Amino acid sequence: MEDEDDGTLVRRCRDGELKAFDQLVLRYQKPVFNAAFRMLRNPEDARDVAQTVFLKVFEHLEQYDPNLKFYSWIYRITLNESINALGRLRPCEAISGNETDQSPGLEQQVENEQMSRAIEQALMRIQPDHRAVIVLRHFLHLGYQDMGDILELPEKTVKSRLYTARQLLRDVLVEDGVC
Amino acid sequence: MSEPTYLELIHASIDGELDEHQRSELASHLLAHPESRALRDGLKDVCAALEGMVAVDPPPQLRAGILAALPRLTARPQPLPRAARWSAPVWRYAAAFAGALIAAAVLYEARVGHSPDATQVSGTMAGAGTRAADIVDTVRLDRGPVEGRVSLYRNAAGFGLELELVAGAPVDVLVAGADQKLRITGVGLPDSPGGPRLRVALPGVGTSGQTVGLTFVVAGREVGAATLSVPPGR
Repeated sequence: MEDEDDGTLVRRCRDGELKAFDQLVLRYQKPVFNAAFRMLRNPEDARDVAQTVFLKVFEHLEQYDPNLKFYSWIYRITLNESINALGRLRPCEAISGNETDQSPGLEQQVENEQMSRAIEQALMRIQPDHRAVIVLRHFLHLGYQDMGDILELPEKTVKSRLYTARQLLRDVLVEDGVC
Repeated sequence: MSEPTYLELIHASIDGELDEHQRSELASHLLAHPESRALRDGLKDVCAALEGMVAVDPPPQLRAGILAALPRLTARPQPLPRAARWSAPVWRYAAAFAGALIAAAVLYEARVGHSPDATQVSGTMAGAGTRAADIVDTVRLDRGPVEGRVSLYRNAAGFGLELELVAGAPVDVLVAGADQKLRITGVGLPDSPGGPRLRVALPGVGTSGQTVGLTFVVAGREVGAATLSVPPGR
């Protein structure tokens, strides 16, 4: 069952095989959790979102359009749920300002871990729509077409949004003295 | 070529999406414009840092939490199969057929002129005092921690519930109907009193359209709910 493609597993789920659904959970729990974590930067919130995503997938499996890749569908739900969660959560004030000021000096070589932290912080300072394209491209390693399917946007718009997002991210990192 | 176009070329080069001609065009531009070079280098660094970020492992309890939450979704009553939906008319056809058979038998006996009289025949066929229950509504529970079915039946004594449940742990069924509540405990196990099949009378139930609410509880947690109803005209 581990080697079965997503479509086969979905069909089995629809036939009531919980084991097939468990296989989908095993396959997608890491990317779904990571996408939510990069969108929210809080492991507990990311876990809640990931759980909601899988339950929604299970509940709406009958409505899944097989013409859409399963991962496009599940990642779309993940981003939507993350953005919904952002609306419910408190603003990101804890992530900005002070923490950055305490980071090592501008001239100091930034270690990998510090760079990751700086990027996480910077990601939270750009708009969720821009963060979403970064997540899809750089954390889920998707191509423009898949990104377009997920975001329901033309490829050209996806590219343009991605370019803007990268630049905004770079601007924030420059502002924080990381780049 | 305008600045935004070069910006697009820079991003496309980072994504490895330039053809030979575009690559050489961008190279010429970068050679002549140090600020574009700095921008390209900065963006490349950002992208490299993004790609270098390690994927986080999901918490170990995530999968278990998802799987534990599924029964709440699967315990909802499933639509009855067509055969079950048609059960009442089928019983009516069967009864009509049996009646016709009796009439034919009576007629035959009357014409042939031997054997017992009509009342004796009809009494034997009716099975006085042992009338079977008539199932008037059923819900099926599939794919959850509790499987099987619960039916609302009617017999000479009135209405009642027939539970045929199988579960890995004892199931409590909370019954609400006719302004009364009832808790049936510990069903669903093969060694439950009466086995997995159990009948419980529901005095007070019987009005046309009346509903009976069922809640299934396992280990103190609600795992499903369903409603049965007395069909109109009963």
